[in-house]
Amino acid sequence: MFQFDTLSLIFVALIILATIPNLFYSSGYLPHIERKIHYQLHYFTFIFSMLGVVVSANALVFLFFWELMSLTSWQLILTEVKEKSTIKAARFYFLMTHFGFIFLLLFFLIVTDGNLDISFVDMKLIASHFAYPTMLFFFLLLGFLSKAGAVPLHVWLPYAHPEAPSPVSALMSGVMLKVAIYGMFRFLFDVLYPWPLEWGITILTLGALSSLVGVLYALSEHDIKALLANHSIENIGIILIGFGMGMIFDTLGFHILSTFSFIAALFHTFNHMSFKSLLFMSAGAVLHQTHTKNMEKYGGLIKAMPVTALTFLIAAISISALPPSNGFLSEWMIFQSMLSSSHIENISLKLSILFAIFALAMTGGLAIACFVKAYGITFLGLHRSTNAKYAHEVNFLMKSGMVLMAFIVISLMLFTPFYIEWFDKALIGLGHASVYAKIFPDGIWNMHSIGINGGIVSPLILLFSLLGITLLMMFSYKVFGVKTRIHNSWACGYKTSPKTQYTATGFAGPIRRFFNWLYKPNEHFIKQTIAGHETKFSSSHYKVHVKPLFEKVFYESVTNVINFISYWVYRLAHFEQLHYAAMIFNIMLMVLFSYRVFSNEFSWATFVLEFIVMMVSIKILLIGDKK
Amino acid sequence: MILYLFSIVLLALIAPILLSYIKATKMVLLFKRPISVFQGYRNFAKLMHKETIISEETSAITTYAPFLVLSPLIVTMFFLPPIVHGGYYVSFVDAFTITGLISLSTFFLMLLGLDSASAFGGIGSSREAFISALVEPAMVLTLFSISLMAGNLGMGQAGVNLAEHFPKEHMASFLFAGISFFILLIAENGRIPIDNPETHLELTMVHEAMILDLSGVYLAIIETAASIKFVIFASLFASLFIPFGIEFSAPIAILIFIAKLFLIATLVAFLEVNTAKLRLFKIPNLLGLAIVFAFLSLITFYVLGA
Repeated sequence: MFQFDTLSLIFVALIILATIPNLFYSSGYLPHIERKIHYQLHYFTFIFSMLGVVVSANALVFLFFWELMSLTSWQLILTEVKEKSTIKAARFYFLMTHFGFIFLLLFFLIVTDGNLDISFVDMKLIASHFAYPTMLFFFLLLGFLSKAGAVPLHVWLPYAHPEAPSPVSALMSGVMLKVAIYGMFRFLFDVLYPWPLEWGITILTLGALSSLVGVLYALSEHDIKALLANHSIENIGIILIGFGMGMIFDTLGFHILSTFSFIAALFHTFNHMSFKSLLFMSAGAVLHQTHTKNMEKYGGLIKAMPVTALTFLIAAISISALPPSNGFLSEWMIFQSMLSSSHIENISLKLSILFAIFALAMTGGLAIACFVKAYGITFLGLHRSTNAKYAHEVNFLMKSGMVLMAFIVISLMLFTPFYIEWFDKALIGLGHASVYAKIFPDGIWNMHSIGINGGIVSPLILLFSLLGITLLMMFSYKVFGVKTRIHNSWACGYKTSPKTQYTATGFAGPIRRFFNWLYKPNEHFIKQTIAGHETKFSSSHYKVHVKPLFEKVFYESVTNVINFISYWVYRLAHFEQLHYAAMIFNIMLMVLFSYRVFSNEFSWATFVLEFIVMMVSIKILLIGDKK
Repeated sequence: MILYLFSIVLLALIAPILLSYIKATKMVLLFKRPISVFQGYRNFAKLMHKETIISEETSAITTYAPFLVLSPLIVTMFFLPPIVHGGYYVSFVDAFTITGLISLSTFFLMLLGLDSASAFGGIGSSREAFISALVEPAMVLTLFSISLMAGNLGMGQAGVNLAEHFPKEHMASFLFAGISFFILLIAENGRIPIDNPETHLELTMVHEAMILDLSGVYLAIIETAASIKFVIFASLFASLFIPFGIEFSAPIAILIFIAKLFLIATLVAFLEVNTAKLRLFKIPNLLGLAIVFAFLSLITFYVLGA
């Protein structure tokens, strides 16, 4: 019923690492929740069910805990219902997660032959005899990626994550998405093992798309938690890029490179857990003090909330993949695995991997821009609203939760070799070659890439040299005894005020304008001009809202088609009796005519004649006069 | 080892001279009386004697960020390809780490811009974020391409390999990568088609806008960081894309390297005199060109092997 191999244990460790700081944070947050018992019950069941998913050893247990996880998280989103949008978001989440569940169920029903309590090894036997393995692969993709939030099934994330209480958003984004990644690892390795090349390419493409789409929509967002949720899409994309590269290398026979890529994906999974939980906790602390999720209402919080600001900064550096943070190390590994694609002989594949490299590099650049925006607008400058002015540091428990999580982020950076050795063991358990000795051939100082002539990075040396040089300079600045005077900011003779600062919308302005073809934003610009002068105005109001393209294309068009069909069904169902008679007459006419067309020799003249008769009959009898 | 440290100190010392040299060359070309090439040192000395004025709106970020802007760049200088034969060098650090360190420096510079609560800082940070987001992919692809030709992802070793076995058979992709890297050199250092380092006009400012509120020692640190960034890019260009001269004995090799740096500076000065600054929303076209050349270089390398 349960199994505890290294892969399961790694994910158990991931859940526990994320949960311990979260428990502190959650108990600090508890006094502000009205339905305490409801919250606590679902919160602990949620954690328990995630642990259950990663240790379950047969389909029935897996599906049970999976569904429990979905239901408890759905209830947790509904903890604090203050606005109608929460209910809408929860409904959307419920729908999406069960959309995925259906495909998982289909997958399991096929690979278990209906006997849901056989082990994963037996499933592999049945799956290898199944005639359409790609269909199984797509069932898995739809099932797990709708939970993990990869394109095009990512649309629920920016709605559901912001509505949940902050500790829950931290858990959902930090851990629940990773449980879906666990599912990918478990079932692709254990059940569907020999992978065709196309599967890896599919995952690589989805990953590259998700990373770009996630970061682009994060940039256009002013709701801080929705921004972080969009970054989860991006990071899931990065994990999938590593995963896809691993599958491609495995299929092509580069076993060592394949293990390296999978380790990179696992490492990024851990890193994303750490920094995304921390970001959600810090954002939650800010939200808790200012009572708004709108970034335009923050500003200057670093003075009132130094601990929150510091932890947010650590996480922001890490998520932007800046050296020597842990986020940088895992992204470095993924880059190295993609750069090793020059060994591949298939030229078209090699060329297409270039585009994935481009997507990942572009994502890195945009993520930096996005986190400068998130950090700068939230914590720096002057307060933009009264709530931000009177904000103060959150309570001790919440603070200690954030600080603990910051330690986990830092530990992932300091103890990289230890973690990588562990991930290596998991992959050996899944039947892959061991690469630890190749990544760290000469001690823990240098981290090598596996590819021939690959690069090397030395995280600890980088960290110490950066710290050393910075501290040396600061020390000499102190010794130098520079006189310091405090004065107003210079703003061309005007006084600086909260209103003259850059806004989040303004900060992302150039990028939004460049990607206008993608965003197609709704802009509302109202200004009261003075005496008809275009450039002189007494007041102006600018509002911009970006609705994700995927939502417009996939989701709204589906809604529109269904609406259209149901409208006609409705029309049909509410005819009068006379109309029904007319309809029956018309259908009989059509049957007769089409019988004649098919059974006799075809002639255009009779066909046109009959067509006209049909149309006239429909017009007169069915549609009638326009009233 | 001594040569290694000497070359780093030399590069750091030559950095302010290079920027002053560009300015002097431009002034000569515009029939003005040129400034001395040691103007950079004079400015530095002047700023070091001034008191630091800190804006009252700022926070701890302004106190620490200037050091964090400079230190990643100093660390990067230790990873550059060697300028003399046989000297010690850090062979293994790859392009992605170098790009990351430069981004780290830019990250803190952008935060610095937003810290002073003035609209100028915001303008600068916002534009810098826009430009550096587009520079990143071109940078990674270009350096990937050159390291493929050199047969090593480590930048130091790549420089040596290129100097020892110049990839004549890959001349086409080498040239494409060179063009792309030169555009990046201009973009990352805020030279004219992208940003005008000499004006204080809000229409054109990028780098200057972010540091408008700094003074005294902090300004000196940021100015040093700007000049070191230029020398990093110039010496990467000199070692990777003009890879000769290293095989001579140490003094001659160093002289050749310095000559290459001044050649690049002259090129930049000529370009600055002859082009107008681009509008902000035209900049993606230029950077797109860099991305296209980087792709072309890689595709030529893979498909044609040329």
